[in-house]
Amino acid sequence: MALLEVKNLTVEFGSEDKPFRAVDSVSYSVDRGEVLGIVGESGSGKSVSSLAVMGLIDFPGRVSADALTFDGQDLITMPAKRRREITGKDIAMIFQDPMSALNPCFTVEAQIMEALKVHEGGNKKQRRERTLDLLNQVGIPDPKSRMTAYPHQLSGGMSQRIVIAMAIACNPRLLIADEPTTALDVTIQAQIIDLLLKLQEDSDMGLILITHDLALVSEAANRIQVMYAGQLFESGPADSIFAAPRHPYTQALLEALPERSEGHDRLRTIPGVVPGQYDRPQGCLLAPRCRYANDHCVKARPEVTDFNGRDVRCFYPLNDQGQPTGLTADTTTGETV
Amino acid sequence: MLGFLFRRLGDIIPTFFGVTLLVFFLIRLIPGDPILMMAGERGVDAVRYAELKAQYGFDQPVIVQYFDYLIGVFQGDLGKSFVTKKPVIDEFLTLFPATVELATMGILFAVIFGIPFGVLAAIHRGKWIDHLTMSLSLTGYSMPIFWWALLLIMFFSTTLGWTPISGRISVMYFFEPVTGFMLIDSLLSGEKGAFASAFSHLILPTVALGTIPMAVIARMTRSSMLEVLGEEYIRVARAKGLAPMRVIMVHALRNALIPVITVIGLQVGVLLAGAILTETIFSWPGIGKWIIEAMNRRDYPTIQGGILMIAFLVMAVNLIVDLLYGIINPRIRYKR
Repeated sequence: MALLEVKNLTVEFGSEDKPFRAVDSVSYSVDRGEVLGIVGESGSGKSVSSLAVMGLIDFPGRVSADALTFDGQDLITMPAKRRREITGKDIAMIFQDPMSALNPCFTVEAQIMEALKVHEGGNKKQRRERTLDLLNQVGIPDPKSRMTAYPHQLSGGMSQRIVIAMAIACNPRLLIADEPTTALDVTIQAQIIDLLLKLQEDSDMGLILITHDLALVSEAANRIQVMYAGQLFESGPADSIFAAPRHPYTQALLEALPERSEGHDRLRTIPGVVPGQYDRPQGCLLAPRCRYANDHCVKARPEVTDFNGRDVRCFYPLNDQGQPTGLTADTTTGETV
Repeated sequence: MLGFLFRRLGDIIPTFFGVTLLVFFLIRLIPGDPILMMAGERGVDAVRYAELKAQYGFDQPVIVQYFDYLIGVFQGDLGKSFVTKKPVIDEFLTLFPATVELATMGILFAVIFGIPFGVLAAIHRGKWIDHLTMSLSLTGYSMPIFWWALLLIMFFSTTLGWTPISGRISVMYFFEPVTGFMLIDSLLSGEKGAFASAFSHLILPTVALGTIPMAVIARMTRSSMLEVLGEEYIRVARAKGLAPMRVIMVHALRNALIPVITVIGLQVGVLLAGAILTETIFSWPGIGKWIIEAMNRRDYPTIQGGILMIAFLVMAVNLIVDLLYGIINPRIRYKR
């Protein structure tokens, strides 16, 4: 059984009769020792879906799912108190901006020890030792003197290491890293990712890596999940997605990589933005931005289907040559292909 | 920390000069001659008038009078009351504990109710509990003290008879003041029921005086709390699996209190101003009532001394608030 099993997770905001679906029937699973990469533009529901897994979606947000289980335990029906025992201990999360993730009023030591106190107990001395241990583990130079530092005295990279130390304090079995490097310098980014992957390997954790850095995900993840406007667009093994994207959106994302624009005057982009609450298209959510879209795409919404062993949400999944399949004469408009 | 303290103390000196200037000259702008006031209805002849004028130094140029006054102040001499002929500082010190007692109770009342109301409103944002506490606090804020105090007296003292109408303690009890604080003295006296009597006399003035600061604190706590609750570190704290109560009371409230503490400090000034009204209505023998009487009699030394001492107090409280600020917020402690 997978460590985390998410089936048709939906997160809605707004009124009951006119809800906005930030996450729309997303399914995935993560195994022990596995790295799942979730990619997509800003506003595609990556963070919201993982917050739902953490149980951090507040009123007026509504979370529903056919299944949301961790290690066989149902997270949805579980009492709040029991769930908090899992949150922070077995499932931990790292957030985007390390500079705002630490409470400015408390020392590094206090913030790490707090997590230990809640979940593991022990006495103050043990917790302090463990904290020192953790700081060493995440590569903080001179950890002893950093213990009593306040967040404003730390650099961004240093703060992110502290945040990571805080997350792995109770030896979680699943770690969710929500764009852990977005707010950091490029030089620091690689270090932090290396650190995360090393920790993941050492303790055989499951890791969900949320990012919009495709290059990063291609190296780190076993499986990739492409999300768009709250929906799952494509998922499958990392290398095969990179070799042959099946969804036009994945293809466009990959083409936007700078290294794939060699020989072009300009970097390739995807025109337009992710639809928000008020401009959601009636048909396929990507239709206004998709280069292959036709009338059918504008009118009807595709479901996730299996295509060559991969989950794809598209009427016309791409073949190995990157061309849409299944287009027939009557659905084709002049513009496509 | 010590350097910070000295810098802040340094800031106080020019403010102090400013207050002496204001108080000295403003009081002389009010129409009315203190010597004629002292003479009363019978009046005084020109020779005696000139004599008295010279005696009190009013024949000197105002600027000379000011420096004479200033020199006195720096030697700890606030002058003697024109009316009672007693040193101003002695009168002040006798009456001061009563005001401090009232003001302390007022601010305690404001903090003890204001902060929880603000927190409650923030965590139930947009629900009835939020609307209720916020409209109550707006009502409290808009209520003139003298009117509110009278309403309280009418309802609780006259109609219900639960609390005494005025004074600090029932006339049945008499003991020598030790600290000047009635609550403490009544305990020290060992007389049965004295403390309860002193306490019941304090309730209504405390409520009347503390209502406005409470409303301000509640509103400030609410908005500050709402801002903090949206911060990422609150989410991080929750992601640690902490109980909601701990997240709110430890992680959020501590950060939210930073602006609230400033407001509490500023309210002390408001409180002392309010004490003047409250003391007058409840016949509370404090400095508020004392200054009002001095003003009616153009008792210059008393007015100057009283206001100077109050200003000094407000500055001292704000200094303490600044220091507290540093304790609560590490970013301020280490900066500069």
